[in-house]
Amino acid sequence: MNPRLSAPVMSEEQGNSMTAPVSAEPHTRPRPEEFDVARARPRLRPARWIISVILLVLAAQFVNFVVTNERFAWDIVWGYLFYPTVLQGLAMSVFITIVGMTVGSLLGIALAAGHASDFWPVRIVCQAYVGVFRGIPPLVQLIFWFNLAYLLPEISVGIPFGPTFGSWSSTALISPLTAALIGLSLHEAAYMSEIIRSGLGAVDAGQRDAARAMGFTQWRTFSRIILPQAMRVIVPPTGNQFISLLKGTSLVSVIAMTDLLFSVQLIYNRTYQVVPLLLVACIWYLVVVSLLTFVQRRLERRYGKGQRRDEGATTSWRTTFLRGRASR
Amino acid sequence: MTDRTTPVVRVTNLRKTYHGTTALDGVDLEVAEGEVVVILGPSGSGKSTLVRCIDQLEKIDGGAMYLDGELLGFAQRHGALRPLTDEQVAQQRRRMGMVFQQFNLFPHWTVLRNITEAAVAVHGFSREDARVRAETLLEKVGLPDKAQAHPRQLSGGQQQRVAIARAVATRPRVLLFDEPTSALDPELVDEVLGVIKDLARAGLTMIVVTHEMEFARQVADRCVFMVAGKVVEQNTTEEFFERPQSERLQRFLSRFTQSLTASRERELVKESQ
Repeated sequence: MNPRLSAPVMSEEQGNSMTAPVSAEPHTRPRPEEFDVARARPRLRPARWIISVILLVLAAQFVNFVVTNERFAWDIVWGYLFYPTVLQGLAMSVFITIVGMTVGSLLGIALAAGHASDFWPVRIVCQAYVGVFRGIPPLVQLIFWFNLAYLLPEISVGIPFGPTFGSWSSTALISPLTAALIGLSLHEAAYMSEIIRSGLGAVDAGQRDAARAMGFTQWRTFSRIILPQAMRVIVPPTGNQFISLLKGTSLVSVIAMTDLLFSVQLIYNRTYQVVPLLLVACIWYLVVVSLLTFVQRRLERRYGKGQRRDEGATTSWRTTFLRGRASR
Repeated sequence: MTDRTTPVVRVTNLRKTYHGTTALDGVDLEVAEGEVVVILGPSGSGKSTLVRCIDQLEKIDGGAMYLDGELLGFAQRHGALRPLTDEQVAQQRRRMGMVFQQFNLFPHWTVLRNITEAAVAVHGFSREDARVRAETLLEKVGLPDKAQAHPRQLSGGQQQRVAIARAVATRPRVLLFDEPTSALDPELVDEVLGVIKDLARAGLTMIVVTHEMEFARQVADRCVFMVAGKVVEQNTTEEFFERPQSERLQRFLSRFTQSLTASRERELVKESQ
């Protein structure tokens, strides 16, 4: 049938008269010495078939529930999905996430660098920062920043204990937006600092030695050699942080910031269509998170370059149910 | 500023401790232009620490090191000897090349970029000039077709040969080898030693820390024997192996000479047949 497969058998027997072509009698059981696993049939996996049936039934039930239950009011969901207020809220959530992540990452790099400093005062301050801002729930921090005016009625710029150059009222400066941005950025920086620190720690010390031996300065060593390699370790948890920050923006609704959640709340407080409007918010959160996940995967692949030799293996439906032939 | 009498590398009374244990205990060493010095000694004797100190990868506690007569790592400033800035230390390192036990190629770059980066980014060569030189070097180390490969696609011996090409790409005054073959499978050692021999023949100044005695015997102009952070004995290669003075070195060499005579006898038997 397949000359390539039967060839090794032939050569082993070295032209012995016993080796009749296998394809001539496909239904006779082959002699033990004629076995060739290349012709093996897939393994049977009954448990997988049973689990599949159960999952299929559950899925059908769920779809039935979602479609036939009129309280979901899909027409209302659809009607509000692209409603201007909702889209503005979505834009605000995405904006806060991007700013929070950018400021948080930059500050996080600085904190991680400070953590590794051989100058102990800097090290202590960085450790203290992470301890405080990681330890207090973000919701509490948001409310705290929003009420900063109570603690600090005026914010001034000047020489410490000396003359001031300018001064602003805290109530004017700290709007819900600034409170949200400050609160989430500072909180995020503490987490990013830890993530970046673990990434830097994962790079082999020999890399630093080699870079310095080539005459690279500390900064060039960090930016060209250490950080690019640390990215492989940094990217996956950073993707998680991005996603959890996006969802975390829903916290800012407590300080009357018009994010996605607050926008749909404004509508359902008026129309009492709570569930359909929450679904609108859910859909948008899922859409953005899916996009972020996609970008994260791309970045992971990019920074994984040079780290592994194999291609990312995927499982086809066939190998899920039937153990395929030994892949080469 | 450098004449023929100024050694390329001079180390005087170098001292270094690691967390209370003494790694270097007053080491003196001079390496002249074009000289190949091999440092031998039992493990833990401070050989690797010595070359790492010369490349300023380790902080030293005392003594001094000079490259072409210039003090390394420190300078007289405001009436006192003070450490150099990061940039100044980097400048000094640019005049040396180092090859590590673990190769330490940059895995996120191609072989070509590993070799050219320092020449381009630090020494100001054009990308084209650096590429041409890298290709010549890759040919010399026997890897002309690997320019676009990534380090992890290469064998250990190939990686180390790339690392050597990287170290010589910037035309260093001295090349430092820190046990270049210790991490290699036995059958890959010779291809790396071959490349180092070629460089020695080309007249490069080198300090080589190694356990390869036969290699030391063939390539070194001078051998240095270290024990417990001290130079116990140093001599021209022939004297070093033929007439070791100290009892410690005699014992160290005896194991090696035994295996050597055994292999020579085997060769003689083979020839007579």
